[in-house]
Amino acid sequence: MLFKQHEAAFRESARQLSRRDFLSRLGSGIGCIGLASLLGQNPAHAEASPLGAKAPHFAPKAKRVIQLFMPGGPSQVDTFDYKPSLAKHAGERPEAVNRKTLRNTKNGLMPSPFGFKQYGQTGKWVSDIFPHVAQCADDISFIHSMYTDIPEHAGAMMMMNVGALQPNRPSMGSWLVYGLGTENQDLPGFIAMSPRAQPRCTLANWGNAFLPGAYAGSYVNIAEMKPDAVMRDLKNSRLSTTEQRRQIDLLAQLNQTQLARMERDQGLEAGIAAMEMAFRMQFSVPEVFDISKETQATRDLYGESEFGKGCLLARRLVEQGVRVVQLSLSIDGYDIAWDTGHDDIVGGHAKLAKACDQGIAALIRDLKARGLFEDTLIVWGGEFGRAPTSEGAKGRDHNHYGYTTWLAGGGVKAGFSFGATDEFGCTAVEDRVHVHDLHATILHLMGLDHEKLTYRYSGRDYRLTDVSGNVVHGIIA
Amino acid sequence: MTAFQHLMRKTSPAPARMFAAGCLGLAAFGEPVSSEQAEFFENKIRPVLSNDCHQCHSAEAKALKGELRLDSRAAVLKGGDSGPSVVPGKPDESLIIKAIRYKDEDTAMPPKKRLTDAQIADIEAWVKMGLPWPENAGTSSPEAKKGYGFAKWRTEHWAFRKVEKPSIPSVSDNAWVKHPVDAFVLAKLEAAGLKPSPPATKTVLIRRAFLDLTGLPPSPEQVEAFLNDASPEAFAKIVDALLASPQYGERWGRHWLDVARYSDGLGGALDPAALPEAWRYRDWVVSALNRDMSYDQFVRAQIAGDLFADEPELRIATGFFAVGPTYVGDGGDPEATAQARAETLADRVDTFSRAFLGLTVACARCHDHKFDPIPTRDYYSIAGVFNNTDTKDIPLAAPEVIAAFEAAQNAVREQEKKLKAAEKEKLETTGLKAELERLRKAVPPAIPRAHGLAESGNKDMPVAIRGDLRKPGENAPRRFLQIVAGENPPLFTAGSGRRQLADAVADPTNPLTARVIVNRVWKHHFGQALARTPSNFGAIGEKPTHPELLDWIAATFMEQGWSLKKLHRSILLSATWQMSSRFNASAFAADGDNRLLWRMNPRNSEVESWRDSLLFVTGELDLTAGGAPTERILESRRRTIYGTVSRNGDRFLSDEFLRLFDFPAPRSTSEARSTSTVPQQYLFMMNSAFMIERARAFAERLQREASDDRARIGRAYMLLYSRPAEEHEINLGVGFLAGAANDPNPQTRWKSYAQVLLSAHEFRQIQ
Repeated sequence: MLFKQHEAAFRESARQLSRRDFLSRLGSGIGCIGLASLLGQNPAHAEASPLGAKAPHFAPKAKRVIQLFMPGGPSQVDTFDYKPSLAKHAGERPEAVNRKTLRNTKNGLMPSPFGFKQYGQTGKWVSDIFPHVAQCADDISFIHSMYTDIPEHAGAMMMMNVGALQPNRPSMGSWLVYGLGTENQDLPGFIAMSPRAQPRCTLANWGNAFLPGAYAGSYVNIAEMKPDAVMRDLKNSRLSTTEQRRQIDLLAQLNQTQLARMERDQGLEAGIAAMEMAFRMQFSVPEVFDISKETQATRDLYGESEFGKGCLLARRLVEQGVRVVQLSLSIDGYDIAWDTGHDDIVGGHAKLAKACDQGIAALIRDLKARGLFEDTLIVWGGEFGRAPTSEGAKGRDHNHYGYTTWLAGGGVKAGFSFGATDEFGCTAVEDRVHVHDLHATILHLMGLDHEKLTYRYSGRDYRLTDVSGNVVHGIIA
Repeated sequence: MTAFQHLMRKTSPAPARMFAAGCLGLAAFGEPVSSEQAEFFENKIRPVLSNDCHQCHSAEAKALKGELRLDSRAAVLKGGDSGPSVVPGKPDESLIIKAIRYKDEDTAMPPKKRLTDAQIADIEAWVKMGLPWPENAGTSSPEAKKGYGFAKWRTEHWAFRKVEKPSIPSVSDNAWVKHPVDAFVLAKLEAAGLKPSPPATKTVLIRRAFLDLTGLPPSPEQVEAFLNDASPEAFAKIVDALLASPQYGERWGRHWLDVARYSDGLGGALDPAALPEAWRYRDWVVSALNRDMSYDQFVRAQIAGDLFADEPELRIATGFFAVGPTYVGDGGDPEATAQARAETLADRVDTFSRAFLGLTVACARCHDHKFDPIPTRDYYSIAGVFNNTDTKDIPLAAPEVIAAFEAAQNAVREQEKKLKAAEKEKLETTGLKAELERLRKAVPPAIPRAHGLAESGNKDMPVAIRGDLRKPGENAPRRFLQIVAGENPPLFTAGSGRRQLADAVADPTNPLTARVIVNRVWKHHFGQALARTPSNFGAIGEKPTHPELLDWIAATFMEQGWSLKKLHRSILLSATWQMSSRFNASAFAADGDNRLLWRMNPRNSEVESWRDSLLFVTGELDLTAGGAPTERILESRRRTIYGTVSRNGDRFLSDEFLRLFDFPAPRSTSEARSTSTVPQQYLFMMNSAFMIERARAFAERLQREASDDRARIGRAYMLLYSRPAEEHEINLGVGFLAGAANDPNPQTRWKSYAQVLLSAHEFRQIQ
């Protein structure tokens, strides 16, 4: 409600501003043209509103992305890639799995400690640790044939989130906002969130690297929901809104006078617009991050876990027009949560799945109920998977030869499984999908040609997919 | 329209980045490969050959399949077991086309996955064109490089030509010319029918000079004194005084630190080193500029300062490389370790070549440079130098002091061992303990250290095939780039070769070094460089708007002993630099980008200058120079250059603030800052504790320095904008102060008003 009042106050003052019509004083002919068209007309002025919504390369299937990032490497054979052969050949080390793992484990196959059941019309086998997501199996496109370049966390996480092994490229989210802008100018275009720990490599996962700063993701730690944790300097502790409005009006006036004096200054024109946006963000940002605005029924749907609340926030954000949300799982302050799988699949994976399962399923259901599911793309997965063989007595080492990522919503087939690992879930053998291919596909679903979305830097055109990437047409509805 | 149609119709102009056809030289093609064809090959054909074919069909294949190689035009024509793979011009008769069309299961290629329709169409188009294959592309075999066309490049591409001092052009309006620079600028303006803008007013001029050279505004008293100085040397005196002030080095040193991708380390998981001594390199840069160290020496010191035995202080300068990212793996996987090593070397080559030479040599890491005459082997010639170099902490003390320190430390260690042994055998330890205590106290104070470079070997490295260090190709002798140093440059044989590398860069016959630095300097004086891609002078960089001017300045710069201060002085005393930045509708219509320099470019101060100026006008700025950085720069009153900078800009509050205002990410060298306008910047101005504090201090200063509101407003305008307030501005201020009727405290109202004045765009603008 408060927000509505501020909004009304703002609109009124915006009307006054336009009545004042400083531009008409310019006298050089530019004055007849409104500020907005001045901003829009000059092609050299692309910087003026870097986040304004831009047309995609072709009609998109999805308009926004929610990435549910699972740092640390969830095990495919204990979650969504059901391999009954593991039980049959327990303890054996067949040639197919006799591959080098990070820690050079030499043990035999370890059956999943979890039960699997079939779900939905497709009869999809899903592990017992994901009972809620399992109920949504008919809405999901599973890619069982993912593979990546290296079995180390940081490098593989960079591959997943920036498309290169080192943290010196723009993140996928920043590429998307660079390519498409965003729908709500009162909120950042790309928001990254996690409870407590940031995923390893931190800022690089949502950073802009060499893209202009406007495309950087804004990170929010959702363990703490105070406005200043959401965005720095969002609140003024001393001034009333009225007094601040007076400040803004005076500043606008000073800047307009300066603009008139300089007669033309595109940076300043953009600045005047940005200042108004900043004023509004003071109200719009806390509002969108306030989940107490939701009904009890909705909050119950998402559950009590921090990640579950993050899923609810993700829905609120995309609903308000945020282009990309990256929500990373973290519990106990660990930056590669799923890596607890080294020692103990049972304890680690069960706990992690419990922390996210209900929220993820709620997100799918809620988006569907609100008619947002069909043009919102959900991407679930980690940087790699885990070996079907054991490490120690009950753990699994990293495995980058094959693992599972799933997509749902915006433009992907529902209730579908694509590609396959070998009999034991070790290596992707059928319809292999590299991370570059996944990126090409995500961009494609968002209406962007991954070969055309380029940025000239340091003497060459860079792409999210570097010199690789093929769209996985097989999963597109 | 397919790419093929596009090439055949040639209706669209070639992309701007394409450079004159022919420089790519004659291909093994029978006729020249046009630049469009070369680009088509590089973008459409070669990636397919390399990603989908070469694994089995190239010299690099582990097991060559069907005796077929697809890594040169000749090899494609020769074919394999099944005969020639292509009939040029006739896709339908070419075996390779049949294979990729996947019509016949036995010959379908690539075996695992059909190429996309677009890729197949491209290869058909390529065969139809007759298989154009630019000779500098393809394999890294030495024969492929024959006739790379270096000589032609050296005569045809502006940046590779010798720097020769051109004659000063004649102009009609001789009266305008104050300096030879002006003649070059005016000649172009006159040719385009444009006039230079009138001179800037004295108040604008002095503010511009202060902000440009020191990053701080003039005080009202300095403005006053300048206005009252009618002597012809008045402005030159100001320039000289500013160049002599220590704030000059802090301002211009920071420009260089952008190029040096300076940070205090802690890049996170893959580049985790803390660089607690990095600031010593920062201080060295500031001091070198303040002393006006000749630029050739500045270059030599940063590349090989540790190898100048007689000048130990120069070792700190090698921090240029040592403060860069040094990548490591995250678990010991050999593939990841090799990648990390390769990426670290790429940082060294990239930073080295873009910073000093304006060349993107790192583009040649996996394949010959696509646009410039830089073979892959040249990349590894330079990478080899850094492969024999380690980063190392350098003790900063005389050898005898170091020896004494180490001896004392060793004595402590020995005593500790003795004590441990005695404790193990449960012997009496009182005496040993006392002695240990004495020895510990006797250790002299820790010797300061700097992050620098040290030699670690003397061995060439092989070309890494497709950039993978674990796939060695031919040997790449350490030597300088062939495009600069000739086809058979002298080999670097002394140690890593860094000393020779440094000399090759600083050599006055090197056509790039002087051009690159004077162009950077020009950029910071005008907001735009003459060549607008300051770190890329290659074929796809922007050509200079005034090539003769650039050469004249570069040649003069070298004649004057590579003195940066002389360069600044001559630029600031030119009529060109002193032009007004006012808008002019007709000139704007003719040259909206101001390429011809019809006015000074209005621009914004960088974030450092803006924050420093805020503290300066409130009277709070602490001008202490040098020393360890602070992570809490927003709470400090020191200049912004003394804030801690982390590699990713995510570690410290100082980082977050800097990056909000376009501070470049120090992951790689930066040639220019972006100028973004985002709402969060205004949130900072409206709500941050820093701005609220400055507003308070400024309001208090005005309270002290003037007796009524109108006078305070006038004083504020002089302090902030170096000009008197106009009547309507004073009235606006008075109105604002009166408007807060519900707040009886005048000080609160003044703080609110002061914050607005400090946030105004005019304060940040250099007119």
